[in-house]
Amino acid sequence: MSWTLKINGTPQTFEPSEQPATLADLLKQLQMDKAAVVAEVDGQVVPREHFAQTVLRDGQSIELIRFVGGG
Amino acid sequence: MTPPVFYELKSAVVGIAGLGGLGSNVAEALVRMKIGKLILVDFDRVEASNLNRQKYFYDQIGRWKVDATIENLLRIWPEAQLEGHKVRLTPETVQSIFASADVIAECFDRADQKQMIVETVLSKMPDKVIVSVSGLAGWGASNEIVTRPINNRLILVGDSVSGTGPGIPMTAARVGVAAYHQANAIVEVLMDLKHGQLSRGAQ
Repeated sequence: MSWTLKINGTPQTFEPSEQPATLADLLKQLQMDKAAVVAEVDGQVVPREHFAQTVLRDGQSIELIRFVGGG
Repeated sequence: MTPPVFYELKSAVVGIAGLGGLGSNVAEALVRMKIGKLILVDFDRVEASNLNRQKYFYDQIGRWKVDATIENLLRIWPEAQLEGHKVRLTPETVQSIFASADVIAECFDRADQKQMIVETVLSKMPDKVIVSVSGLAGWGASNEIVTRPINNRLILVGDSVSGTGPGIPMTAARVGVAAYHQANAIVEVLMDLKHGQLSRGAQ
């Protein structure tokens, strides 16, 4: 069964073969550097050191805030 | 002395994390608006290469940025309330140094440091608002720099994509656009907090 994850407000469909097991897997799939991302799952901030243990499920709403250098 | 622009913000406290291109400009704008008290944090000294965008002067090269910033701000307004800390911020010191701040301005250079402070404020400081910046390198494209609320405690300024890198310098004007977006967002948040409303800015 396919999943829908709402990522930064946009629903995205994931077929069974591409469903990320954890938040860390999702970031890898999206080619995002976890050292520069603040993540919220269903409105709760997930600290960076917990990305690999945060299991994802169908229907979740995920906010990924990506930082680039410069200031 | 001229009166404050915002009488109701006389008691506001703003924390500024980093006094580079963003922080040195944000601090100046807030002092000119006479906003309460500023908590200024930076672990570095002024270098010649900073002068292309940071609010320092040639004769301040080699000085601590905290000291140089305080000197410059007191020349604008001698009664400004300023608290300086020459430390490198960590998740622990962010919480202790900015404990009295209403709003925190993330003015770091490195992406991992931006991540650190935003994560810390959102996860461990539930009564604080943070205004952060991502994407300000290069030149031109002023209108791609935007201010957008991510949630009710995080406001993000920038174009979200323009990081520094080879051939992509930081320039005074574009960094300034972002810094003044940031200072303007801080005023807006402080006014919203003061009036207990979510409406934003001039209608």
